[in-house]
Amino acid sequence: MAFTREEAGARARADLAGRLGVAETEITDESVADADFSDANFGASLPDEMSAQMITPGWRIMLRAGGQVYEYRANRNRLRLFNFEGANHRVV
Amino acid sequence: MNRNNLFGHLALAVAVIILAAFVGQMRHMQWRTHDKPVVRVETVQTAEQADDKEDGDEAEDADDQDKGEDDAEVLVRFKPGTSPEAIARITAQLNDRVEDRFEQIANEEMVIADEDNLDAEEVAAEYRALPEVLYAEPNSVIELEPGEDEVGGGPGLKPNYVADGEHAHPSDPMFDDQWSLDNHGTRGGTQGADISVIKAWEKTHGSEKIVVAVLDTGVDYTHRDLIKNIWTRPANMPAYTDKELGEFDDTHGFDASDMDGDPMDDNGHGTHCAGIVGAEGDNNDGIAGVNWRVEIMPLKFLNSNGSGSVKDAIECINYAIARKKAGVNVRIISASWGSTMYSRALEDAIKRAGEEDILFVAAAGNSSTDNDRRPHYPSSYALPNVLSVAALTRRDELASFSNWGVKSVHVAAPGAEILSTWPDNQYEEHSGTSMATPEVSGVAALVLALNPNMPVKDLRARLMNATDKLPALANKVTSGGRINAARAVKAE
Repeated sequence: MAFTREEAGARARADLAGRLGVAETEITDESVADADFSDANFGASLPDEMSAQMITPGWRIMLRAGGQVYEYRANRNRLRLFNFEGANHRVV
Repeated sequence: MNRNNLFGHLALAVAVIILAAFVGQMRHMQWRTHDKPVVRVETVQTAEQADDKEDGDEAEDADDQDKGEDDAEVLVRFKPGTSPEAIARITAQLNDRVEDRFEQIANEEMVIADEDNLDAEEVAAEYRALPEVLYAEPNSVIELEPGEDEVGGGPGLKPNYVADGEHAHPSDPMFDDQWSLDNHGTRGGTQGADISVIKAWEKTHGSEKIVVAVLDTGVDYTHRDLIKNIWTRPANMPAYTDKELGEFDDTHGFDASDMDGDPMDDNGHGTHCAGIVGAEGDNNDGIAGVNWRVEIMPLKFLNSNGSGSVKDAIECINYAIARKKAGVNVRIISASWGSTMYSRALEDAIKRAGEEDILFVAAAGNSSTDNDRRPHYPSSYALPNVLSVAALTRRDELASFSNWGVKSVHVAAPGAEILSTWPDNQYEEHSGTSMATPEVSGVAALVLALNPNMPVKDLRARLMNATDKLPALANKVTSGGRINAARAVKAE
């Protein structure tokens, strides 16, 4: 199930709203940009997870909520939340 | 001597002359079997040159035995259209003489002899420097027979081998884009910033008796540039059996992510790494691997996203160890993956592999960080069979993404913009220490092709010492250098 950059952004906003317990309307786009990530897990591996060490293109989605900025990393197939409360999270 | 004896001796002499002429013609017929017309320059090797040979270099010794103690030969091919007068002028200037010509073939093909007592490499260098010459190389490259210590088909050039005037190249049409193997300085690169494998190929193209396990996302074992170099379980070897999980039909390897015997690649990363190690070389198709001939054992633990668990990595390592114990000559595990999470279980599995004489070549990681301060595993395990690899650009710079570590990252290899195989008979260019790792694994396999019994400790030491020191790597990697395949196989 591949998705577009816009769809990745929408999924990220929905995920963040759920985690923070806020309405999506309270989340704003800080920036969305193409990015080359350090590995197949976008540099956002989970514990006990190994990752292919190949530069992987994708999108860096920065969202703002409650005065904080949150970073999502995605490509056409996957979406991860980077370093949220000290840990990475798999969204899709 | 009576009249009858005289006629008898004359008849015998005529018969000897005819036989000698026939043998000479047969020799020429053998020369014509090469696809490319050649010029052979014969030289005489001096005693000093003979003494300079490395002791115990059995492949070279075997070559000497074939050609006799005094003869060294050089193959030269002139560019099409070079006139006989020009060739005569060149050979005269170099104090060589035209010894023979091949009939019915272009002017550039003939046999000439050197009269300077130079060694073959010197004569070849003289000819290579000339604009009229397409290529020149010691004849030993063509006719070298396998040394006693070499496994399998041995060195020597296949019929498709071609050249561009400076280097002998395999016939693979994408070879010119493989800067890691032969850097011409294109696309902003630095000429010669490569692993010097062309020189190494003068000694070996690898061996099908050396098994390199590519522990990754699997391998597209049907890729037309890989299919001949994929490991297949011998018919007399039972299928793999796990005590808990039962039997697997491991025809071409093992898949721990799906727990089955089909390590087909559903991502691409493993196929890319496999091609770097051993895409079939000189087959008029695609690219050339560091090894033209090798056995690649696909082991899959990374899923279609390039992600996998420590447990599945260990399952695959255990599989490789089990196959080694069953008689499969697994000598290298190429591991283009990692994370910052330490696992004692993974470390122990790699240690067990080392006890089976298996070298574990691991990517240093792509976080642009110092592994001495922030370790990256498995490359940072301080085990005697682990070799950690950083990545270089085509300009001999440490790649911006590459991790380093003067204590914990051991060598560097080309790892940016590397062209290799991709599933469905495709080819793609990718970057990462993932790509640098199989370059080193491939060089290790070349070494083992010539030295099949070399212990892993010595193999690792050989690789660590076979580097070109680079300013960019000072205080960055232990060896301070880029891996040099020619030096690793003692071809220079």
